[in-house]
Amino acid sequence: MIKLENVTKAYKGEVLALHEASCEINKGEFVFLVGPSGSGKSTFIRLLNKEEQPDKGRIFVAGKDIGTLSSWKVPYLRRNIGCIFQDFKLLPNKTVGQNVAFALEVIGRPNHVVRNQVPAILELVGLSKKMNNLPHELSGGEQQRVSIARAFVNRPLILLADEPTGNLDPATSVGIMRLLDRINRTGTTVVMATHDRGIVDTMRRRVVELDRGTIVRDQARGVYE
Amino acid sequence: MAMKANYLFRETGSNLRRNITLTLASIVTVAVSLALFGIALLLRQGVDNATQRWEGGIEFVVFMNADASAAQLQAVADALDASPEVAKITFFDQDKAFEEFKDLFEGTPELIETVQPSDLPTSFRVVPSDTDPDAVEQLASRFETSPGVREVVSAQETIRNIESLTNIASFIVLLGSVFLLAAAAALIFNTIRMAMFARRREIEVMKLVGATNWFIRLPFMVEGMIQGLLGAGVAVGAVFGANWALDRYLSDRNSLQLLESFVVATEDVWRTSFLLLVIGVIVGTLGSAIAVSRFLDV
Ligand SMILES: Nc1ncnc2c1ncn2[C@@H]1O[C@H](COP(=O)(O)OP(=O)(O)O)[C@@H](O)[C@H]1O
Ligand SMILES: [Mg+2]
Repeated sequence: MIKLENVTKAYKGEVLALHEASCEINKGEFVFLVGPSGSGKSTFIRLLNKEEQPDKGRIFVAGKDIGTLSSWKVPYLRRNIGCIFQDFKLLPNKTVGQNVAFALEVIGRPNHVVRNQVPAILELVGLSKKMNNLPHELSGGEQQRVSIARAFVNRPLILLADEPTGNLDPATSVGIMRLLDRINRTGTTVVMATHDRGIVDTMRRRVVELDRGTIVRDQARGVYE
Repeated sequence: MAMKANYLFRETGSNLRRNITLTLASIVTVAVSLALFGIALLLRQGVDNATQRWEGGIEFVVFMNADASAAQLQAVADALDASPEVAKITFFDQDKAFEEFKDLFEGTPELIETVQPSDLPTSFRVVPSDTDPDAVEQLASRFETSPGVREVVSAQETIRNIESLTNIASFIVLLGSVFLLAAAAALIFNTIRMAMFARRREIEVMKLVGATNWFIRLPFMVEGMIQGLLGAGVAVGAVFGANWALDRYLSDRNSLQLLESFVVATEDVWRTSFLLLVIGVIVGTLGSAIAVSRFLDV
């Protein structure tokens, strides 16, 4: 599903964010990207949906070399990749329902699909009752559920999560991890950057560890360290 | 993938409202520049019309001194008679000149009261057989130096003066309006940039979930286009208004035949209006297209 071949990425004149990274992730896997701050986890994730371009190496997503993808096809790549972030990136002036609907509307889904899918996905993340609330009326955990709903409403093949529990307390984080686990069980490949030791150690999934841009460990059913 | 019309209208509408001050500034600038542009074009058209009309068989006038002697009058009349290039001569004595004067200044009786027929010069109205402007000019100039002649006025000359004057004026106005138009494009560029800044979160999410570039761009381009179109609409109104005012002014003074030939056909006004709308749309779309391509790369 995802393959990196000797991928190197440096930001303008800066130190290497990723150095000769190679890694293969199969369909339906759940992978933790761990490592200290600045080790290249976010860069890894941004390379996968072509928010950044590698300086060297090749990246395959769903069998396609995304380095050779023409720019007008990038949106179609991204429709197969859901993204969630530490800061949720919800639109503050839209309700929960509108935030989720927005993701479908802007890729041209017909109205009846939007009308059916939005309540269904909100039901899945347990937020049916909050459909008409604005994001600031929700707790952090609820906001992250909305962002998961938005990322997953289009049933992507891959879900990328960049420190999704970074702003949440441990109890709330557990709920978010349950949800991501459920999504993973539907066959969705999940790649999650985190430095939450507790989560990694309880989930016991594959762990890829980065240190100053280099993959130093790749362990099935691994722990944080 | 078809862009959903209701999405487009909603986004464009809310963009236009959000930035109402800047939007109005852009619209006003487009309107002013295009109104100037349109009026300058119509002015040129009017001058062209007038020249054309006057070029077809127009007379020149030999004005005699008020105290010219009968012998001098006779000499000029004979000379005109003897010229083969002259088709028709009409003599205006002082009474006839006074009639014409009263006609011309109908609206200002105070002025008429101060003038006696004996104050006015007698004149010969001459219609040349050859209407070529240079030939008329030459013929007219032959009488300038005859004894008792005060001056020879050819309409040709007047028209030419007006023509070169309005040509210069309309050129300056056209030039100014082109600069204003550039300013309008820059303003629209800026308005769209502000609109994109205001919606940067939406744009970020749209890119993230895989909206196509055109889907993201179109509402902004349409917004710029609408600003150009609205500005041009106001300009069209101004051009029609100016034309109507001129029409009225001229028909109120219907004895000023010279000016009347400046009236522009409604058809020309429509054609100019259409041109203004097209330019408005182009300027608006161009300004926003540049902004969109500068600030919306994937
Ligand atoms: N947009 C950027 N411009 C310049 N340098 C960046 C940028 N993003 C990340 N970096 C640098 O690249 C390195 C890796 O960063 P990042 O991928 O964000 O790591 P992590 O997510 O593990 O904290 C860091 O040294 C960081 O400062
Ligand atoms: Mg990071």
